[in-house]
Parts: sequence; C-alpha cells; structure tokens
Amino acid sequence: MRHPREGWSEGGRRAPREMSRRDFLGRAGAASAALGLGTMLGTRGIKSPIPAGRAAEAAAEAAGSHSTPSLPLPRQNHPVRWPIFSDNRPIASNLKPEEGATLQIYNWVAYINEDVIKSFCKKYKCKYSLTTFNTMTEAIAKLATGEFQFDIFFPTIDVIGQLIETKLMRPLNHSYIPNIANCWPDYKNPFYDEGWQYTVPSEIYTTGMAWRKDKVSLKPSWSMPWEAKKYKGKVALLDDNREGPSLALMKMGIYDLNTTSPAQLRAAGAQLRELESLVNIRIDNSDYTEIPSGNTWIHQAWSGDMASSYEYLPKGTSVDVIGYWFPPDGKGPIANDIMSVLTSGKNPVLSHLFLNYMLNVDNALNNYSYVGYMQPMTAVTAPRLVKEKLLPPQLESTVVKRSYFKTGVMELELPESANLLWEQTWNSFSQGL
Amino acid sequence: MTPPSRQPAPDTAGSGRPRVPRRRDDRERYGTRILWAGFAAPGAIWLIVLFVVPFYVMLAVAAGQINAFFQTAVPVWNPLDWSGANFATVWHDVFGPGAFLGGQAVRTVVYTAIAASLCLAIAFPVAYFVSRYSGRRKTLFLVLLIAPFWVSYMMRMLAWIDLLQTNGYVNRALAFFRLPGHNTNWLGGDSVTVVLGLVYGYIPYLILVLYAGLDRIDKNLLEASRDLGLGKWRTFWRVTVPLAKPTIIAGSFVTVLPMLGDYYTNQLLSAAPGTTMIGNGIEGLLGSPGEQGQGAALALLLLVVLLVPMGYYVISTARASRENI
Repeated sequence: MRHPREGWSEGGRRAPREMSRRDFLGRAGAASAALGLGTMLGTRGIKSPIPAGRAAEAAAEAAGSHSTPSLPLPRQNHPVRWPIFSDNRPIASNLKPEEGATLQIYNWVAYINEDVIKSFCKKYKCKYSLTTFNTMTEAIAKLATGEFQFDIFFPTIDVIGQLIETKLMRPLNHSYIPNIANCWPDYKNPFYDEGWQYTVPSEIYTTGMAWRKDKVSLKPSWSMPWEAKKYKGKVALLDDNREGPSLALMKMGIYDLNTTSPAQLRAAGAQLRELESLVNIRIDNSDYTEIPSGNTWIHQAWSGDMASSYEYLPKGTSVDVIGYWFPPDGKGPIANDIMSVLTSGKNPVLSHLFLNYMLNVDNALNNYSYVGYMQPMTAVTAPRLVKEKLLPPQLESTVVKRSYFKTGVMELELPESANLLWEQTWNSFSQGL
Repeated sequence: MTPPSRQPAPDTAGSGRPRVPRRRDDRERYGTRILWAGFAAPGAIWLIVLFVVPFYVMLAVAAGQINAFFQTAVPVWNPLDWSGANFATVWHDVFGPGAFLGGQAVRTVVYTAIAASLCLAIAFPVAYFVSRYSGRRKTLFLVLLIAPFWVSYMMRMLAWIDLLQTNGYVNRALAFFRLPGHNTNWLGGDSVTVVLGLVYGYIPYLILVLYAGLDRIDKNLLEASRDLGLGKWRTFWRVTVPLAKPTIIAGSFVTVLPMLGDYYTNQLLSAAPGTTMIGNGIEGLLGSPGEQGQGAALALLLLVVLLVPMGYYVISTARASRENI
C-alpha cells in the first residue's frame, strides 16, 4: 500500500504535510553541553527518551523560562552571531567554479522551479541532482548520517544552531553573493544569523486565515474558527504543532508564540479542544486545494499556499471567492526559509554562485511562478507581481510586506522542556479525546 | 559439499553390515530434503530481509535513544542496553490518566468492528453468488471483482473526495431520488464516512478470499446433505457455513489487520481529531522530532495486540485441517 504523501506529491504540487516544516524543532538540551560545543560530526549526544505528561510540565516550570541552553536561541529581540570555527572557514575569494561538477541540491518537495536550476547549469556548465524531503525531521536525520554529499540545503531558521555547531554548514564568502543587495536590507543582518555569515534568505510567508467570501459572512480575525458555529464541518486548522497552538494563543491576545508558560499552553489546548464540539474542526495542510474546491470555508492558511490557490479553482469560479487575511498591522506569524552551503558538498564555489543566482530578481520571479512562495526582495512587491500576471489582484494580501519582518512574530526554536509542552498541547488535541 | 552418492559403499563385501544400504537410503533422503528446503529459500530470505530485520530495527528504535543534537532516533542494537521508557510512555498515553491516545484506541476497535461486519455482510452474498450461481459468466464476475485492484487505493480514495463534496455526485444522486441526507457534509469529519471508506477500501480482498473458499467446497457434500433430507437453508447453515468457517476467519483477518493500522482513509475522508485511529497516532508520533521511538513502541504494541487473534486463527485452522483429515 502506498503512503498518501507519495501519491499527493506527484499529482499535486505539494504533499499534504510538506509544509509542516516546523515539524522539526531542533532543541539544544542540556545534553549538548556535555557534548562540548564544536564536536565533530559523528559524535552523537545521547539522552534518554522524553518523559511524558506532568513530568515535562514540572520540568518546564522548574526551569523557568529558559533552561540555560548551551546553544543560543535567537530571538527577534535577542540576535545571535554564530562562531566561525578555525577548521570550518569560508572558501577563498576569486576561485573558479568547479568543472564537470554535479551540483547536489537538497530541498523541500516541489519547492523550487527546476527551470531555474537548469538555466543555472547551462550558464555554469554543470549538472545537477535534486533530492527532496517532506519534513525537516527527515532531512536532518539524513544529513546527520554524514553519508551524503549535498552542496545546497534549504533549512528552516530553527535548525541553524545544530547545523553550525556540528559543522554541517559552511560559512559564506560574501564576495560571491553580490545579489544579497536585492534582498530586504534586514537580511544583511538577520537576528538568527547576524552578519549573514552562514545563510541567505529563501522563501518568506505569513500564516493567516483563508476563507470563502461567497459562503462566510464573518469578519476575518484570529478568532474566526471559534465564531464559525454555523459552518460546522467546514472549518480547518493547519496540521502543525506550532501553528495550531499559536492561533489559540493569538485568539487569547497572547503574541509570544515562543512562550514557555505551561499555564498559557494549557489554556491554548483548552481553546483548541473547544473547536471540536463547536465546529467539528478538521486538521490538514491542503489549504490551497480545500478553499478553492469549497470543501472547507474557513482554513488557517499559509500565504504562499493561498497565492497559488486560484489555480485549483473549479472551472467557472472566480478568484473573487477566495480571501486571505493577515492583520494589516502586521502582527501575526511570519517565517522565512533559508539557503545554505553544506560542508559535505564537493562544489563550494558553484554552491555560492547558485545562492547568488537564486537571489537574482528574475530568477526569483521565475521560481515564484511555480512555487507560489515569494522571496523577500525589494523589487518583489504586490504591484509588480500583479503586473507580471503572477498573482491575481484579489490575492494581494498574500504578499509579505517588508514591515512585517519587524512587526511579525516568528515561531522559533524552543528550549527542550517547552517544546515538549507544545508537542503535548498539539498532540492531545489533534489526536482527539 | 559432496553430492550424495548413488554408488554402493565399497566395504560391503562379506562384512554383513546391514546398515550400509540403509545409509545410502538416508543420504538420498537427505539430498531431497535439501532440495525441498532450497525451494523455501527465496521465501525465507524475503522474510528475513523484509520482515525480521526491519522488525528488529523497529525494536531497536523503540527501545533506543534520542540524539540530543538532532532529535533523531538512535537505534540501540544490543538488547542488554534496551530501555523500556518509550513503552512505558506509550502505555501511559493509551491507558494512563489523561491519556490522549485512549479515545483513539477505542475508536479504532469500534470502527474496525463495524466496518468488518459490514464487509462480511456485503461480501459473503457476493462471493456465494459468484461461486454457486454465476454459471458461465463466472470469469466475467471474477474480472469485475479484481477490477478495483487496477486502480491504486489512493486514487480510489481521492476520487471519493470529489464524489462526496457537498455539491458532489453523491449528494446530487440522493437529491435526484428524493432521498434524505442529500445535504450531508460527508467530508466534514464524519465517522460514518470513515467507516464506509474502510468498507469500500478493503472489501475486494474479502470477496476474493471468500470466493476462493466457497468455490472449493465439494458440491457432492451439498448434494449429499440435500439427499439426506436437509432443506436449502439447513444445508446452508449446517454444511456450507461450517465448511466456509476457516475461509471466513482468514478473510476477516485479511481485512481487519490492515484496517487496524489504516490512517490515510481517515486522513483523506475526515481529517477531524474526533475520528482519528491508532494509525494516525503512530503517524503523528513518527512525525514529531524526538518521539519516533514512541511511535515505534506504539506500532509494536499494536502488533502484540494483533498477535492474539492471529494465534487464534493459527490454532483454529490447524484444528480444522486435522478434522478434515
């Protein structure tokens, strides 16, 4: 019997849970201190399996907000500059690209337009191989074996720490990547990687509410699902252990989406469970097909998914029926992916050139036309996307504005005990009581 | 290894040792035994490589550790170092106070029981008809029974998503025939839809197994029963059904076992937390960083539970074949 993801990723553009990139929430527990920072890859920190239930909650309470982790946890108000290790330095400048090379790219399923890779390979006379993953957990597990020679990797912000400390990521030589100038200036000094020493930005997106304007008469807000009693069975949340509880927190007016407070998470869990009797809530990551098909009328959604949702409308249905709401004041969940060069790769120069190529505006738009997720570039604005017919004007709200980078809230890596609480909050709801 | 010799042993002359010819016989028999055992080799290798080894890996993950840096599962190969923590956690999650997997376990049993009963109620008459009354159209019916296997399970389920939309063909058909329920939101997280999905998905297996069993029943026995004065119904209940019992049990297993581990039928047709089954629990744990070990432990616990009916099946078929001899 086939796995459902497999079937979906081939037919559709993305597998149902492909976007649950935050499935992987790497944690730096106390155990990593015992490991000693900068251990070589292959030395594995081992700890006992996680205790359950109350014990974890008690641990979180005892530890206060932070359990003095050995790896810093970057926050928007607490930027981190990662170390450059003496045995893992950037490559020299002015090197020639490797010849006869095969660039190995490791990315999410259907998250890059292969035409862009092909044109890169034509320009630099190389070949490529694209390997994909469905969850960050899966990707990290594969990288941790050290048996692959991937050049380029598309991680999420929350795993940077581990990848740097285990020297899986190669620091960048900025001289190869002048196109960083195309990005929002914020990305020359992002809080998660000050001085962009290891990463360049990739796709950026918000998490908001999508709804059917022709069916639903509610005003969009974070509490929409709780007000949707008359749309019972037509309401859905994203299948993600951070997005779900975060929505409940915001509904209660709590915008610290990296909270470690057991009381707040307990309250969020109760809010979520209430949705079951209220609207018989459903959980899936098919926001981009559920809303256009009309099977769901209110769906917590990712902006990039909704930007391409119009392509899934049944014939004869206008884009006018799809709405995507993200608070106009920009106070809501926002996230960006990153691109990085791996030490396991054999082609560091080409890898740098590839990153630069991806930050070219035309290539970024070409990529957008396929992926639906935009890159944080000064030239990529709503009017431009509409003008180039890459986005219907009705869905302009899916475009991430530069100001959101400051006003938005990012769901970031948590201390281990808190992460457990989040997972429990989500599991005890999503698996049904 | 030397091949078994067909030559008589050289030291037979005058020694009067009667064992020699017997020994030759033994060796011959030994040779054939190796030959027969050789036939089992592909199956045995398949079993070891694709079942025993993965099973051990699962055990090593369930009883293993977690990589603190990457939150990935680290299998522990030495049974002496195994830890029972994951099993304890899972046990607590299923049976302990505030267990979140408890409801799921109950639902799994209830859904599967209902779906399996429905399957049997539908499949038995169909199989009975094909084996007894289809006449020369038997081949046609058999082809039709196998037809669902031409389309992958996933595709069939995805097709149902279209059919079951609120304004889909199912509701339109209901409305056309003025039947109640034409406004039902089938995909709105309804346990009825999940059960029907399970029935639809697994019933072809049951029909095929039942057909094979019913077709094999010796018609002479039925004739004998009629000759000896039993009516149609009593022949059915006292001859056909008892003879078909092992087939019914086997067929039920073929459908019940995959239903118990199913998670995608329910993910595709419902996706509501209130209809999840234990398969969804396993899938959820495997997808959570640091909890793969618990997922493996839960899968193993499910397997242990399934061993009970499996044991019953093995014993009952052994008994049945003894009785038949």
